Amino acid sequence: MKNLISIKVILLSLILLNCTSDSDTNDVIEETGLNIEEQQTEFDRLSMLTFWADNIIIPSINSFYVELNSLNEYASSFTSNPNPSTLTQLRDQWLTTYKKWQHIEMFDIGVAEEIYFKNRMNIFPANVEKIENNISNFDFNLDDSVNFASQGFTAFDYLLFGIAQDDDEIIAKYSDSSQNYDSYMLAITSKMIELTISVKSNWEGSYRDSFVESTENTATSSINIMLNDFVFYFEKGYRANKFGIPAGVFSGGPLPDRIEAYNGEIYSQILALEATTAIENFFNGIAYGDPNKTGLSIKNYLDFIESDVSDKLSARINNQLQAGKNKINELNTNFKIQIKENNHEMLLTYDAIQSTVILLKVDMLQKLNVSVDYADADGD
Amino acid sequence: MLKSYLTKSKVHPAPLAVFRIVFGLLMLVALIRFWTNGWIYSLYIEPDFHFKYYGFSWVKGLGNYTYLLYSSCIIAVVGIILGYRYRLSIILFFLLITYSELIDKTTYLNHYYFTSCIAFLLCFLPAAHYFSIDAIQKEKSIDAIPSWMVDGIKLFLCIVYFYAGLAKINSDWLLEAQPLSLWLTSKYDIPLIGEILKYRWVHYAASWSGMLYDVFIPFFLLYPKTRSIAFVFVILFHIMTKIFFPSIGMFPYIMIFGATIFLDVQWHKNQLEFLRKFAAKFSQKFNFLKLKLTTSKANVSFKPKQYILPLFISFFIIQIFLPFRYLTYPGELFWNEQGYRFSWRVMLMEKKGYTTFKIKDSINQKTFYVDNADFLTPFQERQMSFQPDFILEYAHYLANHFEKQGHQNIQVFADSFVALNGRPSERFIDPSTDLNQEIESFKHKKWVLPLKDEIHGL
Repeated sequence: MKNLISIKVILLSLILLNCTSDSDTNDVIEETGLNIEEQQTEFDRLSMLTFWADNIIIPSINSFYVELNSLNEYASSFTSNPNPSTLTQLRDQWLTTYKKWQHIEMFDIGVAEEIYFKNRMNIFPANVEKIENNISNFDFNLDDSVNFASQGFTAFDYLLFGIAQDDDEIIAKYSDSSQNYDSYMLAITSKMIELTISVKSNWEGSYRDSFVESTENTATSSINIMLNDFVFYFEKGYRANKFGIPAGVFSGGPLPDRIEAYNGEIYSQILALEATTAIENFFNGIAYGDPNKTGLSIKNYLDFIESDVSDKLSARINNQLQAGKNKINELNTNFKIQIKENNHEMLLTYDAIQSTVILLKVDMLQKLNVSVDYADADGD
Repeated sequence: MLKSYLTKSKVHPAPLAVFRIVFGLLMLVALIRFWTNGWIYSLYIEPDFHFKYYGFSWVKGLGNYTYLLYSSCIIAVVGIILGYRYRLSIILFFLLITYSELIDKTTYLNHYYFTSCIAFLLCFLPAAHYFSIDAIQKEKSIDAIPSWMVDGIKLFLCIVYFYAGLAKINSDWLLEAQPLSLWLTSKYDIPLIGEILKYRWVHYAASWSGMLYDVFIPFFLLYPKTRSIAFVFVILFHIMTKIFFPSIGMFPYIMIFGATIFLDVQWHKNQLEFLRKFAAKFSQKFNFLKLKLTTSKANVSFKPKQYILPLFISFFIIQIFLPFRYLTYPGELFWNEQGYRFSWRVMLMEKKGYTTFKIKDSINQKTFYVDNADFLTPFQERQMSFQPDFILEYAHYLANHFEKQGHQNIQVFADSFVALNGRPSERFIDPSTDLNQEIESFKHKKWVLPLKDEIHGL
């Protein structure tokens, strides 16, 4: 026994010595603006979470909130004085705000998750029948889940573009206050503001600190929830909702009426590209509103784990994101037309995005060793 | 020599009695834990669809009666611990627990299989002829049983360890330190040692020592001179695994307490004497046990039924050869998983998959993809996504489902990508194979695309 034990010890120490000399590689470390000089052996998860909170999440929510208030103002001026000019101004502001929304939909965490923020701001298709009922009866409770598809940006899209054949008729509907379209629009706007305030004040309150400090690797820690949210958003909110479902991937035939901003039509591509930018920025740690400011990110985290790998997964993910973006750029600005005239291109775009899903969900989550769900059962 | 060992060699029954009590207690804790974690519901009742072991599709889910099954299991386990109506209890426990495991192979764990095997062996062993309520009631106890009856349990434990060790002798485990490298790096939040878990040398040290431990520990446990130190290693090793991998559940405790069977007879007698004193506080009847503990000359020997020894020998022949059945299949074992289960391949690979299914009407060529969440729990989906037999079974289930919905000429294609031990993901299933035409069998599954890499070793 003693002999064997010493053999074990010798063997082990040999192996240990052998490997320590292997791992002393010194790759070039990217400058990211934060103190990550020891990236090779240290990864500062606290900095990453701090950057996410202070430079991506909170600024994007604040910026969204500012635009949302403007939207409210334009909605007021339009409803009090409906004419082609105020309508155009309102539509422009709606698009601006909608683009800002693309940057925060993925952060389904904290109060946002509790109040079903994303389901109430941007679930599509809109429930037109319900919206019309709400308007004609003017008796509705927007906090009821049956009304989730009759509020937010999608309902707004219907109210701005879908309630009548042309702009004159739309304006006419708002000119007649007894029809309630104006009141409903304002009710929806103030609900969007109300919901955003609760998310915003949550982040500005104690939540930010508890978020940043939760650096461990558990099912409920910030890193794990954010990674799961990110992957889930990419797969569902981005890939399926914006491309897969309207292209008919899950239904056997195309469903062009399922595109985002269906009534506005021409905005589907703009919104999808904006969402792509938000995804790239979050993955690569680019500050909201300032492309020159960078911080620790999922990319850095992956590179830290793959410090001895030359063919970096982060690079493959970025390449694939780019490939998807190129495909989206080739599409018609109006996805409805794209689907009706050449759905094949839409499906190819979906495929390019789907390849990224695999890289994120399989390769990335394996490297980071984050479980994709909370189904807890023993493993061996 | 073997013949005289099998017919003449005797051993005191104390180790077997202790093993019975310890096994029973562990099972009691495991069952209560399983229940209170809500797993009876989430694993056996909630899913609409269960993945079946090949040949066991007749085992049906029991719905809410699953709770009854587990209640009965708990009662049976109490019978095992007390040695009350032992034979009935252990047979009931073996049948019920094995049935529940057969309901859904998604939940397969080596230590569940281990549990069933041990329970099976215990059905034929006189574990309650000594230090048990049965013994008290019959006023009859024994003080010698054939050595092979205790050694059989030891042999089984040795097989588990040794085969788990052999399975680690492969290039991924020893030369790449995978999957431990992936797993340990993510355990940075463990107090004190978390800091060093990101270093490569730690991953290599853990891989190699894990392999050496598994291969050699059986011999050190068997050899009297090294037994005590080996037992200390057993405790340390399994506590380490529990710290690193909390999700392995009861496994470390089962192995630690199970290994007490290797300890000297005197140790077991001491434990029983301690138990007797404790029990005697409640009932004087237990003092009857004392008599039997101390008389060693009486030689009331247990004569086993004729069929038990051949049965044990067959059991061990199967145990020895079953883990090698993978050699009859072409391709990489970790990738194809043909012959992977029931072979003590524990904590051996990190495999993640993403598998979606395309349903196609072969006549009008219309296709659509299935949302797995409509049919599977997240846990089932995760297991399905990288195991070929799951993928095939699920494909047939989907075909069946959509046929009932009125779809016709159904073809099912899998769009499947799997990553193994940190390798980049690769396409896993031939996307041109209509899985609805493939039949489950023990034959090689040709529609699993080969791994683009080679893993050397056993």
